[in-house]
Amino acid sequence: MKFEDDSQNLRLRLNVVQGLVFVLLAVLGVRLYFLQVVNGTRYAEIAENQRVKLLPIPAPRGTIFDRNGQLLVDSRSIYNIILSREDMRGRDFNSLTEPLAEGLGLDPALLRERFEEVKSQPAFEYIKVKENASHDDIGWVEAHGLEFPELSIEKQPQRRYPDDSVLAHVLGYVGEISPEQLKLPKYRDNTEKPYRPGDVVGKAGLEATYDHLLRGRDGYRKVEVDSRGRIQRVLEIVQPQPGQDLITTIDLDLQMAAEDQLRNSVTKRGVIVALDPNNGEVLAMASYPTFDPNLFSQRISTPEGRAEARALLLDKRTPLTNRAIKGRYPPGSTWKIPMGMAGLEQGAITIKDSNLACGGGITIGNKFTRCMGSHGSPALRYAIQVSCDGYFYRLGLKMELDGIMKMVDDFDINKRTGIDLPSELRSWTPSREFKARFNPRDPNWREIDTVYASFGQVHEFVTPIAMLRAVAGISVGGKLYVPHILKEAKAVSATGPFAALASYAFDRPDPKIVPLSEANHRLVMDGMFDVVNNGGTGGRIKMDNFEIAGKTGTAQVASLGKDVGANKDHAWFVSFAPAYKPEIAAIALIENVGFGGTHAAPTVRAVYDAYYRKTRHAEPTPALIARK
Amino acid sequence: MSTILEKRRFRDLDWFLMLLAVGIAIFGTWQIHNAQPEANYWKKQLIGLGVSLVAMMVVALTDYRKLVYFAPAFYIFGLVLLVLVLVPGVGHKVNGQQAWIMIPGLGTFQPSEFVKIPTALMLARYFGRPRTSILSWHEMLIGGAILALPVGLIMLEPDAGQAITYLPLLAVVLFLSSIRMWLVIAALAAAFVTVPAAYYVGVKTGAIKNYQQERINVILDPENADRRGFGYHTWQSILTVGKGRIVGARSASDYSQSRLKFLPEPHTDFIFAVTAETTGFIGSISLLIAYAVLLSKLVVGARRAPDRMGMLVIMAFVGGFAFQIFINVGMALGMLPVIGVPLPLMSAGLSAVLATFIAIGFAISIRLRRFVN
Repeated sequence: MKFEDDSQNLRLRLNVVQGLVFVLLAVLGVRLYFLQVVNGTRYAEIAENQRVKLLPIPAPRGTIFDRNGQLLVDSRSIYNIILSREDMRGRDFNSLTEPLAEGLGLDPALLRERFEEVKSQPAFEYIKVKENASHDDIGWVEAHGLEFPELSIEKQPQRRYPDDSVLAHVLGYVGEISPEQLKLPKYRDNTEKPYRPGDVVGKAGLEATYDHLLRGRDGYRKVEVDSRGRIQRVLEIVQPQPGQDLITTIDLDLQMAAEDQLRNSVTKRGVIVALDPNNGEVLAMASYPTFDPNLFSQRISTPEGRAEARALLLDKRTPLTNRAIKGRYPPGSTWKIPMGMAGLEQGAITIKDSNLACGGGITIGNKFTRCMGSHGSPALRYAIQVSCDGYFYRLGLKMELDGIMKMVDDFDINKRTGIDLPSELRSWTPSREFKARFNPRDPNWREIDTVYASFGQVHEFVTPIAMLRAVAGISVGGKLYVPHILKEAKAVSATGPFAALASYAFDRPDPKIVPLSEANHRLVMDGMFDVVNNGGTGGRIKMDNFEIAGKTGTAQVASLGKDVGANKDHAWFVSFAPAYKPEIAAIALIENVGFGGTHAAPTVRAVYDAYYRKTRHAEPTPALIARK
Repeated sequence: MSTILEKRRFRDLDWFLMLLAVGIAIFGTWQIHNAQPEANYWKKQLIGLGVSLVAMMVVALTDYRKLVYFAPAFYIFGLVLLVLVLVPGVGHKVNGQQAWIMIPGLGTFQPSEFVKIPTALMLARYFGRPRTSILSWHEMLIGGAILALPVGLIMLEPDAGQAITYLPLLAVVLFLSSIRMWLVIAALAAAFVTVPAAYYVGVKTGAIKNYQQERINVILDPENADRRGFGYHTWQSILTVGKGRIVGARSASDYSQSRLKFLPEPHTDFIFAVTAETTGFIGSISLLIAYAVLLSKLVVGARRAPDRMGMLVIMAFVGGFAFQIFINVGMALGMLPVIGVPLPLMSAGLSAVLATFIAIGFAISIRLRRFVN
């Protein structure tokens, strides 16, 4: 120190200042060490993630065809205007409402509602501002890129289902994957084609069952963006791999014929299913009333679409339900086919002595249950032909509940058929447990219950598909194939990092074999032949050169006397053709119309007509409408 | 005689200090280039550096005592500039702050950067007389007034960042002028107690608004605070620094945080973050060490100053530099709120670099006269 000024500890004070300077710099150094050396890797990662964005290129979903290569479902590209949340970076969405509503012709209230909706979800990245944008909309967004850099155009494949709701229940529909679905193992654990929020997945029908085949693998554009989300350059493009095309077993012509019948039926509620009894391939499956799957794939995000979907869900006629696999109906007299077959096989009756009294009905205790006619003491063949209830009351009593239950189990009526559609229901079949649950006030099984169980009322509610499978199985001598709709998934070639996918033919399960003696089988066949061809209950649909065998059914919905109007009987007809060498089996159920031979049988005939034209290349003879 | 003196002067110039300062400034110019490779900020900075070196030599070779003697004149001139900058039409507005004066052909300059020098000289002149007694209240008041005039004018621009960089000038001068130790301790203790207490009371009573609280949260926990809003700058700066890791990000200029505009003001306020990104821990810790050495050299110069006045001039600058470095780097490292304070010798800006080199010129001049007595 050049100057003598030590009286106030100047040296010390200078040291304090210098020390303080070093301490401050040291604090910075330590902080720097933690940011760069200790946590640097993590920060580098975060910085990298905000710089690099993966913009998905959605893969087109596989196309669905019928068995003859006719197009059923495809996808087309639409353009959506989306808004990136990252780029909004805390700015108020409301400031966008007015200009966007004006520029894109949107309802400001709807836009505000959408913004509100997504605000509550912390994880979203994009908001769809407008679906299916027009050329003008896209032009507007491009022209206003500087004002609204957070807007961008996204190309999205959209599912297009056939007009007139053809095959709606079978095809199902697609929709955005729900948070609940994402948690299911089926979706969560799919590493091959991972599912992400916002992905479009099959929600019903074939779309759902074969989502893993139909779904392609999304590609992406890896881009570098600046702080406002503007793309600086494209780092990498991976093209998507389309999903596999599906060939179904459906024959579109038969399907149209079936749907036409239901559409023109009296109540417009019912089911028609046709399949090949020799392998289980479903040729047609129609359920009415129906719905337009395009509602879910295209219009669901609009307020009108949502109202439409709500109305469908609340509709008492349950148009969303595929009645073929989810409708449970008392089988009525169609039940007599498995009953008669099992009665012979179990030895309750024999070919030589299959006669049982009709008696115009039966009295159990003090209760009389009537037959619709007076048939004397018919043999089985005739009992089937004229649908004699009295005969089957007595057959049931001979077989007893155990025999009926064995029959049900043999013909798999108490099981799901295993058809490749989601949510198939199991039929309800007679058992002590079922009665106890069904009628808790009188839970014990009585003789009268065996009578009821033997003619398809009260104790059994079967799905049309289960009934058809049992009868089709009987028609080919006891081979119950699993009905299925997929025939083949087409191969897909390799794209970019995605390996090729081989074609896949439906892996048909072995049929269930029910041993039937040839003579017994023949007898039941004869009975069913007579129903149509020998003046039986289905006589009006008789066809030359193509012998239909079948069984009518008229299932009571309400007790006699009340069976009018909305409570009319369900009309059934289950059949196959040609009679002794079946190529096709078909079932029809029309709800609440009345007699099966009058209302159900002719609808099946229309399917056979279509089949006949296709396979015989000739015009079928007209049905005999005059016959009662 | 005069040639001998000239030779001796040149030999005795603090070449190390000069080279260190120029080295840091050139390193800074490189970082400005990294921050904005397409803009010409780095070229302007080089020109500014050239001008600054001339100014530094002129000051260094002038007797600082003469300059301190004329300090009141410089000081008044400085105040006039600070008033002028507020006059509509003369002052130039950038980002809402009317802090620049446009000089046709030369560009803009920022009086608030320069006025630090006459302010420090004024303080040194007033407190530089040999002391025999404890600092009086009267002296403290005068010192406060010397500071208050420019600070008040700068607050009118308004440029709070610049204004607070004046405070350490007075603090250091008072501290080295025998301010009573208990006052210092009492002031520190009061700050430690009242600031958190006031914050607590403010939050409870609602006097501190939510958005103000959010600004505090940004510093306490930048990762979980409002990263898209208030905390955006802080968070992006932390990412930029962290991304540099040990040796700096590879090919950083291609997709650097500044180039993609994630980091705001990369060539001025956040130049340290750019440095950390491109040169990593090695580069940025070296810069901090260079600052430590530079400041130590200045303190050594102050210790050897021929008189109190010279010592106070240097130490006032030391206080100013150290404070600015801490505020700026602390902000870049997410420890302090975002305040627009340039980093000495690094941030782009002609006024700042010129003022800094003039200050260093004073230190050299004072050191040069250590034997002249």
